[in-house]
Amino acid sequence: MFGKVLVANRGEIAVRLIRGLRESGVRSVAVYSDADRASLAVSLADEAARLGPAPASESYLHIDKILNAARKHGAEAIHPGYGFLSENADFAEACGQSGIVFIGPPAEAIRKLGSKTAARRLAIEAGAPVVPGTQEKIANLDQARQVAQQLGYPVLIKAAAGGGGKGMRSVEREQDLASALRDAASEAFRAFGSDEVYLEKQVLEPRHIEIQILGDHHGRLIHLGERECSLQRRHQKVVEESPSPVMLRHPELRARMGEAALRIARAAGYANAGTMEFLVDRDRNFYFLEANTRLQVEHPVTELVTGLDLVAWQLHIAAGERLTISQTEVSWRGSAMECRIYAEDPENGFLPSPGRIAHLHEPAGPGIRLDSGVYPGWVVPLDYDPLLAKLVAWAPSRDDAIRRLDRALAEYEIGGIRTNVAFFRRILADPDFRAGEFSTAFLATHRLAPEDPSPEMEAAAAIALTMEEAMEDAPGEPLPAAPSSSFKSPTHPRLIDGPLWLAAGRQSQLR
Amino acid sequence: MKRDTRIRGRAGSIEIEAESFQYQHAGGEPIKGRFFSEPTEPGSRAVVIDGRVYRVTRGARGEMLVNGVATLIEVFDPRDLRARPAAMASGGRSEIFARMPGKVVRVLVSKGDSVEAGQGLVVVEAMKMQNEMKSPKAGRVAEVRTQPGAAVLAGETLIVVE
Repeated sequence: MFGKVLVANRGEIAVRLIRGLRESGVRSVAVYSDADRASLAVSLADEAARLGPAPASESYLHIDKILNAARKHGAEAIHPGYGFLSENADFAEACGQSGIVFIGPPAEAIRKLGSKTAARRLAIEAGAPVVPGTQEKIANLDQARQVAQQLGYPVLIKAAAGGGGKGMRSVEREQDLASALRDAASEAFRAFGSDEVYLEKQVLEPRHIEIQILGDHHGRLIHLGERECSLQRRHQKVVEESPSPVMLRHPELRARMGEAALRIARAAGYANAGTMEFLVDRDRNFYFLEANTRLQVEHPVTELVTGLDLVAWQLHIAAGERLTISQTEVSWRGSAMECRIYAEDPENGFLPSPGRIAHLHEPAGPGIRLDSGVYPGWVVPLDYDPLLAKLVAWAPSRDDAIRRLDRALAEYEIGGIRTNVAFFRRILADPDFRAGEFSTAFLATHRLAPEDPSPEMEAAAAIALTMEEAMEDAPGEPLPAAPSSSFKSPTHPRLIDGPLWLAAGRQSQLR
Repeated sequence: MKRDTRIRGRAGSIEIEAESFQYQHAGGEPIKGRFFSEPTEPGSRAVVIDGRVYRVTRGARGEMLVNGVATLIEVFDPRDLRARPAAMASGGRSEIFARMPGKVVRVLVSKGDSVEAGQGLVVVEAMKMQNEMKSPKAGRVAEVRTQPGAAVLAGETLIVVE
């Protein structure tokens, strides 16, 4: 095992990785931009290194600065987390050339799976089903027309280098093809530096179901089942769960999709943790979509249902150890569901709402896992993705997990900025969601209007704000309605002399 | 203790006497009851009305979360003349602030202008969308704190209408 590992990321995932390193007895090096000097990740790490100014291009995306920090601190390996440099084959290669282990798949596997067109070719060669479409990039409008005709409308235009819905357009009629192609290519160029796009048949009412894989450098490769991530807004996942409601009804699908994922991973020479994403249609046909050659945001869902620590396994595998779990030893227990808590305004088009977290009450209790990167007083920077935390619930059944997650969301309070906490409670209350009947169109087609406060809730708000402001105006003075004295005068007669806490302790022993 | 309130855009009042309260908003039935309220964590209070518990926490700017439900609210001391420049029916002093970070594209009013309720005051562009911020009430522009081209943060006051 390594002695020291650099975490080349920020936010909740940096915290998750630092925790994993400490549990494995490995020293952690956090890196930070100027916007993250006071971050939770830095404060939890053993060592910290400044990268540069806030913009990612000058900090978390700057390969040389990260390698320099690793050398300076004597880190033997780098964990890239997700996003930033995690799927950058050049970075993985540069680590190797510097004698530093990249905790992830081999650079060659990232290359083979990194471009969606290359990954599609690989999947076809490996005998895994893919959505009908072009394998090559679209060269011109005439070719696009011809291909779209063959596939049949609606078709999807997608960026070859992309993800997160950037450079993606749905086209329902031929007359819209030219403008959609132009828009998608220019958006792809702005987002990824490449205007390469391709065409696919649009799968109707698809569900997004992905398979977690894990492999070592000695030839063992296993899958850890699925995560359903169909609840997305603008192609960004917001709720993830395992098992998928589809698998609950059709358990045989897990093994079939798992086998397809493993075929693709084997063809790419994959090792370490990775994810194969699939679309599943109404008739449970599944199609390979793309590979994520890294740890996923939603990995805790798999950790909770399999009982396996993916980050710990990533470390062991990167250190050259053998994966000692066989496919038949992987078992799934209960149901896990995750909400991505974002600093964003669901009532205002999900626009980011960065700023200072004035108040924070985090949920806890049975079956709750909170992977958070923030604390009260933390200023959510404008410069990065506004993901604050991931709230995950585990319970024996899907219904129980939903109830538990809803309970935790009701406890979760974030003040000072807008978040999507209340929005999740409306999703969880939706009958279609509860029934497991949904597709990736769920959030676009369901109106989840915010609840109006009742008159008594308005009164409670008015009472609280009036008392808060009265207290701010006259600190130290007793409030007209402050009844706190009722807490100070014990209702029971004092039985025992001595310090109050001791007395209270003895009293409760007596009961 | 009596305060004028503006909750979700509606004027009303709250009166607190020891552990009793009366709340009323224009057009609504008054609610009366017994309550107690204790500060819990900083920025947060438990308000227990006739035995029913409400957790009230400062939310985003200008909002309280009541059992997690965001509620737009302001309270004014009716004796405080500064907070009460106009009739309560028009809501006192209102700060128009940016709801998200962005760039000011246009400022549509100048200091001293009279404005109608719903009149556009300033246009902010964020994430390639232009958002016209409107006056919540009729009144007069007391302050213009921004200018075209200025970068603004969420929560930053742009215009004050009295």
